[in-house]
Amino acid sequence: MRSVCSLALAALVLAAAFARAEERPPIWVTDPGEREYKAAIQRFSDRRAVPQLADGTSLRGDIRESVDFSPLFESLDPKAFLGPDESQALDAPQPPVCSQWSDIGADALVEGEIRSGSQGVVVEFRIWDVARCRGLLRKRYFGAQADLPIIARRIADDVVREFTGASGVSSTEIAFISDRSGRKEVYVMNSDGTGVRAATRNRSINAFPGWAPNGDEVVYTSYRHGGQPTLFTISRGGRRKPGRLLTRINGKSPIYRGVFTPDGKRLAFVMSVDGAPEIFTSRPDGRSRRRLTEHSAIDISPSYSPDGSRMAFVSDRSGSPQLYLMDADGNNPRRLTFQGAYNTGPAWSPDGRWIAYESRVGAQFDVWIIDPEGQVNEPIVTHPRSDESPSWAPDGRSLAFSSNRRGTADIYTIGLDGRNLRRLTASSGNNTSPAWGPFPGKR
Amino acid sequence: MVREAAVREIQWSAGLDSLRRQELRRVLIASGLLHLAVVVVLSVSPTPPGRSFALPAVVSVDLVAALPGAAPAPPSPKAAPKPKKVVLPKEPAAPQAKPKPAPTPKADPKPKAEPQKSYEDLLKEMRERAGEKPEKPAAKPTQVAGVAGATGAVRGVRVSPEEMAWRRTVRIRVRNAWVLAPGFRHQNLQAHVRVELDASGNVVGVPKITRRSGNPWYDDSVLRALAKASPLPPPPEAGDWEFGFSPEDVF
Repeated sequence: MRSVCSLALAALVLAAAFARAEERPPIWVTDPGEREYKAAIQRFSDRRAVPQLADGTSLRGDIRESVDFSPLFESLDPKAFLGPDESQALDAPQPPVCSQWSDIGADALVEGEIRSGSQGVVVEFRIWDVARCRGLLRKRYFGAQADLPIIARRIADDVVREFTGASGVSSTEIAFISDRSGRKEVYVMNSDGTGVRAATRNRSINAFPGWAPNGDEVVYTSYRHGGQPTLFTISRGGRRKPGRLLTRINGKSPIYRGVFTPDGKRLAFVMSVDGAPEIFTSRPDGRSRRRLTEHSAIDISPSYSPDGSRMAFVSDRSGSPQLYLMDADGNNPRRLTFQGAYNTGPAWSPDGRWIAYESRVGAQFDVWIIDPEGQVNEPIVTHPRSDESPSWAPDGRSLAFSSNRRGTADIYTIGLDGRNLRRLTASSGNNTSPAWGPFPGKR
Repeated sequence: MVREAAVREIQWSAGLDSLRRQELRRVLIASGLLHLAVVVVLSVSPTPPGRSFALPAVVSVDLVAALPGAAPAPPSPKAAPKPKKVVLPKEPAAPQAKPKPAPTPKADPKPKAEPQKSYEDLLKEMRERAGEKPEKPAAKPTQVAGVAGATGAVRGVRVSPEEMAWRRTVRIRVRNAWVLAPGFRHQNLQAHVRVELDASGNVVGVPKITRRSGNPWYDDSVLRALAKASPLPPPPEAGDWEFGFSPEDVF
């Protein structure tokens, strides 16, 4: 009897303890606020036969600059390092001492080395998660000596990807129009504003650059063919030769603003029919042409959804320019924007969740985003002067746009949360119509 | 496992050659002297200005000891040390000051500059059709869906004031150590982690995710936050404690 009582008592105690553990609610941690990861970048050791100290230093400088370009990261000043300034050999028997890096607040540690390679250099590096003291990625880049700045941007993007799941965008590029030479020409720059180079020098008027999905081509509108606007392409050396597109389309109708379909096989563009601009698609040479809009009103500015199934465009069929959506074959057109009397320039986000556009407020434009259902409609960039031509970063976290807030028009980028406004161009004519290119991995 | 991918960098010169051909013919004579001057400049300048549009050719990529798939996972046993307790300073780092909003220059009465010519004609036509009456967008934009305010209450379970105070301190400590990518902020991502604490607040062993959010980088970010916040203040009771993580207040 006593033993039965003891067992029952023990069971009760156990049950009570179990119930307590079960009942204990979790400690909820929510709404963490705005914080950045801190990255410690070591000077990469130079293990070539003839080491060049400057390479390791400049590589680190370039990585830091690109890491700082990411809104979520900040690189730590090497003067604050408790650990070694220069990386040890990646295959050294002892890994880095994590506490040396966590004590200075580092979340990420990047160590690496430069070696000789058949193409010139091999840069091998490793990214550490300091808090958990574990390696996240070890990787090699091969390239020429002159490629070191490009490799630095790729490494910075790798750091961002390992911590956030989405690659950084510092190795992407932005095409835009600038009149810095006196004519409107297409230019391309790195997404941090460095490395600006002219992509056309035809001394005509060029407009509306847009990237092929693989990043090998930029399509643009130019008046360089008999003064009539039509589409041209610039190529990185892919299969298609650079030059005029839509050559199979006869006639003298002006053609504007080409955009590639997400699979890159076709183009959508605007062509005037009986005086009314309409949206068409065709193969890049003009074959297999289909008309998508049939309305006496103006239908312009096509922008595909990332899956290619739908298209946003602008029409004034309601009496004022507004955003519309339709299926990619032209069916089921419906009006999307109802606020504001003048909404143009739609750009569908890479994740499909948003359409950025420019909305006129008074005598100038602001950049807004709206979801495809029209439920959420918010301003992203507002300023007493004009902000226009939004274009999405390939990670969907930032927008490039042009603004004349400093007098002349310049290209800016801003985070989708309205933070991290940056001006990319400066003091070089008017810079407009930014088109943010794809990730280099898509090339 | 080794993966290789070629990355070609931009070579705009190919496009330029064909684009320039016609124009060059036209301006050949007029620009002859200029070209001569450019050649002279190029021959003495270490960074010729005319080359700014051409970029280096090839970078290839080689992944070494990469982790399976794209998701972060434990590194190879050789490369990674054993998990160890990371001791941070007692006081949590002060939250980062929010950057000031972009400076707002004074309003400029100048009208918007006219962009492209005949495309702009279309827009002009639109404006005329629209009656040229600018209309402000509606007063307040719809908010991105949020969740109602938080409470520190421990729902339905009586806890001592000491435990309440401890929970509050721990919550703030871990929250201050948590870095959340902006892309995760408005997503419905919830992760639960079971942490064994000793009487001093040290994390014993490796925290275990008992409910995954579905996003490995989000789950990693909460584990990172716990590691950075360790050691925690001494708990009311040593043993297992469960943490819930959500980007937005869930109560």
